[in-house]
Amino acid sequence: MNVIEVNKLTKYYGKSRGIVDVSFGVEEGEIFGFIGPNGAGKSTTIRLLLSLIHPTSGDARVFGKDIAKEGPTIREQIGYLPSEVFYYDDMKVIDLLKYSASFYPCDCEERTRELASLMELELNRRIRDLSYGNRKKVGIVQGLLHSPKLVLLDEPTAGLDPLMQRKFFDLIRDENKKGVTVFFSSHILSEVQRLCNRVGIIREGRMVEVSDIRTLQQNNTKKIRVNTRYGQPAFDLPGVTNVVTENGTTQLFFRGDINLILRYLTTLNVDDVSIEEPTLEEIFMHYYE
Amino acid sequence: MNIFWHEIKANRKSLLVWSAVMVLLVLTAVAKFSAFHNNPESLAILDSIPKSVLDGMNMRAFNLVKLDGFFGVVFSYFSLMGAMAAAMWGSESIAREERDKTVEFSLVLPITRSKLVTAKLLAALVNCVLFVLITWGASALSARAYQPDAGFYKFLGQEMAAMFLIELVFLAMGVLLGCVLKKYKLAGSMAISIILTAYVLFVVSRMHEKLDVLRFVTPFRYFDAADFYKTGRFEPVYLALSAGIIVVCLAAAYLVYARRDMMI
Repeated sequence: MNVIEVNKLTKYYGKSRGIVDVSFGVEEGEIFGFIGPNGAGKSTTIRLLLSLIHPTSGDARVFGKDIAKEGPTIREQIGYLPSEVFYYDDMKVIDLLKYSASFYPCDCEERTRELASLMELELNRRIRDLSYGNRKKVGIVQGLLHSPKLVLLDEPTAGLDPLMQRKFFDLIRDENKKGVTVFFSSHILSEVQRLCNRVGIIREGRMVEVSDIRTLQQNNTKKIRVNTRYGQPAFDLPGVTNVVTENGTTQLFFRGDINLILRYLTTLNVDDVSIEEPTLEEIFMHYYE
Repeated sequence: MNIFWHEIKANRKSLLVWSAVMVLLVLTAVAKFSAFHNNPESLAILDSIPKSVLDGMNMRAFNLVKLDGFFGVVFSYFSLMGAMAAAMWGSESIAREERDKTVEFSLVLPITRSKLVTAKLLAALVNCVLFVLITWGASALSARAYQPDAGFYKFLGQEMAAMFLIELVFLAMGVLLGCVLKKYKLAGSMAISIILTAYVLFVVSRMHEKLDVLRFVTPFRYFDAADFYKTGRFEPVYLALSAGIIVVCLAAAYLVYARRDMMI
C-alpha cells in the first residue's frame, strides 16, 4: 500500500508557481528522497501534505485518507521536521516536549527521554537560549516522540554538526527498520544517496523523474574519460552529451549501446580511458540543464 | 484543554500590563474627582467649552460633582480600554502563531484549526473577564473614600456589564482580524484603528442631533453610560446588534481560518 499518494497536485500562490501537476507515490516502509534545488517546490509539497496550505487543484492521500478531509487524523501518525524549527521561545524544552506529547494518544514520556539522551538535548533550557543546531535537536525529538508511522523531513540536516548528522541518520534508519516510512526532502544528494531507496526529482515545480536510486544511477548512462595523444576527438555520435575537453582529457556522458562508443574509441589513439557510473550529483545536474 | 492553558499562560503578561494601566487610571481619576466632589463652582471651567464638545464627551449627561456622575464620564475610558485590550487579545493570540512561525508546530499537531481558534478565544475571554473584575475591584475600592450609596454600586455594576459586552464585541472583531488577515503584522494596528474610528464616531454621534443616526454604526453607542444611567437598562435592539456582530465575526473567522493558507 502507498502511504503517500499524490495525484496531479498543483499549488499556485496567486500567480506565482508553487508546484504543478505533481504525482508520485511513497510505499510503506521505504525511505523516499525528494530532491530539487531551492525554490523547486519541496517545502510546498510537504506543507500541502500537512494541510498548512491547500492545493489549487489535484489531491493527495496519506494512509489512504484524503488530506483535505482528514488532516487531524492523518497528522496523528505523522512526524514532521521542518528545515527551520520555531517554537514558543519562552518555554523550557521539557515543557514544550510534554505539551507536544499531550496531543497524541500515547504515553510518550519514555520515548521522549530516550530520544533526548540520544540527541544529547538539555531538557531544562529555555528555547530562547538555544542555538540553531540545538533547536533542530528539539525538532527531531518533538517530531519523533509520538512514534509516528510516517516521518516528513524537510532539509533536516541543516544546522547539525557532522556527528549529530550521523546520529540523526542512524536514528532515521532505525525508525525505518521498525517499519516507519520516511519522506526525505533535500538538496544535498550525498545524503539522499546514503539513505534513500527511491528518489523523486523536482524542478521548477514539476516532478521530472521518480525512480529507484540504482536505476537512476545505472540508467545506462556512462561517464567516459579519454586521454588522447594527438588532437581532439570529435565524439560525433548519437547519445553523447556534455563533452568537455581539458588538458588533453575529454570527458563525456554516453547513453545507448555501449558497443557503439567502444568501436569509436578503438579508432582513436588512446593513452588512457575510463568508463564509470556517473555519480548521482552528475545525473542530477543533468536534469537541471 | 492543553492549548487553552498554554494560551492563558501566554496572555498573562499582557493582562498584567493592561490591568496595571487600568488601576492607575482609576486611581488618578478618583484622585481628580476630589476637586469636583460637592463643589459646583469647579464646574465653571466647563462653561468655556462648546456644548457640542461637552456632549461629545458625555459631560452634560452627568452631574460631575457626584460620584456616580463622575464615573459616568470615566466610563468612556473603561469602554475604550476594554475594547482595545479585548481586540488585541483576540487578534494577537491568532496572529502571533504566524508571526513567530509557530504555526508550523501548532497546526501540524493532530487538531483541527477550529479547535485551536476556540481554545484561543476562550483564553482571551478569560482575560476579558478578569480585566473587568480588576476594573470593578479597583473602582469600588477607590470610591469607598466617598462613602457612596447603593445606587452608585448598582450603576458601577451596570458599567462593568457594559464594559464586558463591549469587550465581547471587540474580542470577536479581533479574532476575525487575526484569522483573516494574511499580513499578520496588520492585525493589531488594524484593530486599534477600527476601535479609534468607532470611538470618534461615538463622540461625533453625540455632538449633533443630525449625526445621531451614527448610533447604529459604533458599538460604543450601544452601551452608552448616558443612556443606561437614565434608563437603568440596555436597549434590546443594541443587545441584538451586538450579538449579531459577534456571531457574524466569529463565524467568518472560523470559516476563513479553516480554509486559508498559512504564511510561513
